[in-house]
Amino acid sequence: MATQNLDANPRGIPRSPFVERVEDYVSDAEPADVVLRKFQETISKYKFMEVNMLQRRKVLEEKIPEIEKTIAMVDFLVEKHESNEPVYTDYELNDTLYAKAKVEASGTVYLWLGANVMLEYTFEEAKDLLSSKCETAKTSLRNTLEDLEFLRDQITTMEVNTARVYNWDVKQRRLAREQAAK
Amino acid sequence: MSEKSISATIAKINQLDGILTLFLHPKMSSQQQQQQTVNLTDLDLPSLQQVKVQLEEELSHLTQSYGKLKGAQARFADCADSVESIKGEKADDKTILVPLTSSLYVPGKLSNVEKVIVDIGTGYYVEKTLDGAEKFYQGKAEYVKQNLEKLQETINGKQSSLRAIVNVMQEKIQQQQQQAAAAK
Repeated sequence: MATQNLDANPRGIPRSPFVERVEDYVSDAEPADVVLRKFQETISKYKFMEVNMLQRRKVLEEKIPEIEKTIAMVDFLVEKHESNEPVYTDYELNDTLYAKAKVEASGTVYLWLGANVMLEYTFEEAKDLLSSKCETAKTSLRNTLEDLEFLRDQITTMEVNTARVYNWDVKQRRLAREQAAK
Repeated sequence: MSEKSISATIAKINQLDGILTLFLHPKMSSQQQQQQTVNLTDLDLPSLQQVKVQLEEELSHLTQSYGKLKGAQARFADCADSVESIKGEKADDKTILVPLTSSLYVPGKLSNVEKVIVDIGTGYYVEKTLDGAEKFYQGKAEYVKQNLEKLQETINGKQSSLRAIVNVMQEKIQQQQQQAAAAK
């Protein structure tokens, strides 16, 4: 992961440089407090991205088990279809209300795709669709976790940078005061 | 909102009510709220401000809980309607789309239109007849309605306390301004 882009990670989050020599960053045109402010801005941008990533991770962590359950259900229906047995189930009629129903596997299932869209699929098509959805979700989750780690690193680097610039600035002011006192 | 959170909300409302009574009348904690304006004028402006902020917070919590309870009431009414709608059907008659998971539906037929399973909270599910289920939901809706009414009264009480405090504060501010004008 670190060998790809030096300046950004695969999802385009810019890498923050580590301040080896503060003098490279602070000059007369850019006094220390301007640099400090820029660092603070960068830190808050990273933190904002971190919040977004955490949100995305939560959503994905919920979706993936749901999709896996649905795949398991389709498998179960395929079995029943082969043995031609009807299935008796308690289905959710309302939030706290369940009713009994008899289901005879008919070779097709209906998938709710969201946005008021429901489509009929054969067992194989349904399984393919659900498996690909599951794969995409898992990849997104992996990427999100990677990004989160990366962001953590960058935030720490920027905070260390801020501390170094601040300390350097304090030292400079002390030296300047001693000079003026002579 | 589940059973547990509804009872938790109602408990919290009662708790908040108790705390506020205590705060406004530290000396007469067990008595009813009376003669508020007398006690309020004893307080000076910053403490009045504090009480006002506290009241506003409580008011927003209570209004939120009111909204949630209203939502719960609507859902119980909805469940009662669903039971009604099954009542009119015969088993194996019409084809329905049965949800197997939140995104998977299969065509099927209703079997057993006599009994339904009701979630009565804390992880317990009970099989009830249609009539039993309907009575259960109606009873729940009643319970929530009573609490809603109690909550409404509490909210009204808090709102009038808030208004009283604002009045007293305005009087004090006026007094202060007059004193400042007289001092010049």
